[in-house]
Amino acid sequence: MINLQFQPFLYMLIGSAIGFWVGILPGIGGGTALALMMPFIYKMTPQEALPFLLGMHSVVATTGDITSVLFGIPGEPTTVATIVDGFPMSKKGEAGRALGAVLMSSLIGALFGAVFLAFSIPIVRPLVLAFGSPEMFMVIILGLTCISTLSGQGKRGLLLGMMSGGFGLICSLVGQDRQAGILRFTIGQLYLWNGLPIIPVVIGLFAIPEIIDLAVRGTAIAGDVSFGNLGKGVKEGIKDTFHHFWLTLRCSFIGSLIGIMPGLGGAVAQWVSYAHAAQSAKTMEERAGFGKGDVRGVLGPGAANNSKEGAGLIPTVAFGIPGSTGMAILMGAFFLLGLVPGPDMLTKHLTLTYSMVWTIALSNIIIVAVCLLFINHLANLTTVRGNLLIPFILMLCFIGAYTTNNHIGDLIVLLVFGGIGYLMVRFGWPRPPFILGFILGSLAETYLYTSTTRYGADWLYRPKVIILFFIIVAFVLYPFIRGKRLLREHEEPGEDQI
Amino acid sequence: MKIRYNSKALMDLCLIGIGLVVIITSLKWPFKTALFPIVIGTPVFLMAIADLLLNLFGREKMVEKQAAVDFKLSEDVDQTLATHRTLLAFAWIIGFFLMILFFGFHLAVPLYVLFYLKIQGRERWRISLPLMLSAWVFFYGLFVWLLDTPFQEGWIFKGLRAIGIIG
Repeated sequence: MINLQFQPFLYMLIGSAIGFWVGILPGIGGGTALALMMPFIYKMTPQEALPFLLGMHSVVATTGDITSVLFGIPGEPTTVATIVDGFPMSKKGEAGRALGAVLMSSLIGALFGAVFLAFSIPIVRPLVLAFGSPEMFMVIILGLTCISTLSGQGKRGLLLGMMSGGFGLICSLVGQDRQAGILRFTIGQLYLWNGLPIIPVVIGLFAIPEIIDLAVRGTAIAGDVSFGNLGKGVKEGIKDTFHHFWLTLRCSFIGSLIGIMPGLGGAVAQWVSYAHAAQSAKTMEERAGFGKGDVRGVLGPGAANNSKEGAGLIPTVAFGIPGSTGMAILMGAFFLLGLVPGPDMLTKHLTLTYSMVWTIALSNIIIVAVCLLFINHLANLTTVRGNLLIPFILMLCFIGAYTTNNHIGDLIVLLVFGGIGYLMVRFGWPRPPFILGFILGSLAETYLYTSTTRYGADWLYRPKVIILFFIIVAFVLYPFIRGKRLLREHEEPGEDQI
Repeated sequence: MKIRYNSKALMDLCLIGIGLVVIITSLKWPFKTALFPIVIGTPVFLMAIADLLLNLFGREKMVEKQAAVDFKLSEDVDQTLATHRTLLAFAWIIGFFLMILFFGFHLAVPLYVLFYLKIQGRERWRISLPLMLSAWVFFYGLFVWLLDTPFQEGWIFKGLRAIGIIG
């Protein structure tokens, strides 16, 4: 086994240590870190370089959840969904429990993804190849509908969710059009030619409202919970993971399935799993608890954004189709090392392919163990006075946003979307559909354009498209039907629907 | 029918405006550029109108019960105090941005941390100074020294350089 030889193991440890900090720091993504580390692999053998790079990349989502839970700042764009329930848990003084849950579910997700990678290479080939651009477009609409449906309460929840998702899609239009090169909504700014950068948008939308609320409350993140008590929840968080083990596994499975689809990746996986976790609520009261600190809202995204890592390697390794930016950079590393993705990876280099499975599993086990060792100290950060934390959190937000393009425009985008995020929170507009629409907008446009130019309107009649359409309709109607059923069961006419 | 004016309607009006701009602008573009904006802009525009009508004419109970499964602002602080603190927080955020613009990150980071801790936090010097120093060490050590991130110079230094006061 390659990974247990001294040199590859050492490189994996170094990579994991770098990934640990990359995950925690907002603004430096897994993809950026991979790109920064590429020059270092020139002199390495494939047996050393792959554990180094993959060890780094596969733990980024695990530690990225930590800042999402503690401060409401996403360490990675793929860890935004963890904020929705993780940060309210921290505010309730349950940071330890949230961290225990998110780390354990991340570990289970990562292990699930590794096993998924090991067993599914021969099976998934027909699935990936069967999905053309019309089906991929419908999958994106399905993801958006799914999160829009479940991110609002009340009769107008779906409408607000859809409007929020639509607004996200509109924001994704900014920049140079890919098809004809026409500039759209760039207001004469060269900076906007490449579109709105995702990191400043995400940080602004999610971190700024939380910082303002922290300043308004004038307390620590965890309110008046006494110092030293928070870490005790860690065991409870770990127990929660096993208490909701099937949910964790189902979300891991969702993450893996989405991870296989080229272009979708962790940004979608986390939200679909969050939506699935919210859907698992059995009563209206349980459902209302999501967004206010329900541990299941932490377990779902935690598991999914790690399980997609292993699954994301499947199209990269087996077909040479990178599923995400990180995977595209990793594929570049393959070529640098003289490896060609494709059938050779499943025959001639099979040992190396399986070493990737071990790297994902081992690096995550090690990093989660390290995190659990220091979790008390991490959780206690939420008891530090808000006035001491705010300048540091703001500094991280501004630097994190700025490092996207090293341009002052990044800071303006951060401020504008900070304002938008605050207004959305204030007026009860759900932010998750917005961010999903924003992330998937350009991809959805490409698939829609390809489908329309290639098939005309006929793509709408493709069997798989029709099936996906009915699944979308089912998602839209499900909360209404379920709400009515719950009302009948509770015999409380006049109550609102879920 | 009684019309209920509320601040939520403003959000709808903004989205109606945005949707309208997207649709009208798209009509001037070629098909391949306009396809997606129109496919997206039209339903957003219609949904925003529907939501506006619900806000203005819908049953009050229904409007009040809408909520997002998302982070919620604290409600246990007095409304006037909350508004005051919100405006102050926004002012500090914009202040940091202006400091970066005028002084550059190198100077803005330590100055901001110090000002915030001393003025807003009313912390003692023995807390403020070490924290300011640690913020600067973290910023400089990681982003400047280790990652070699190119941070732009502030406008003041650019101006001083332009008129030859600093080299």
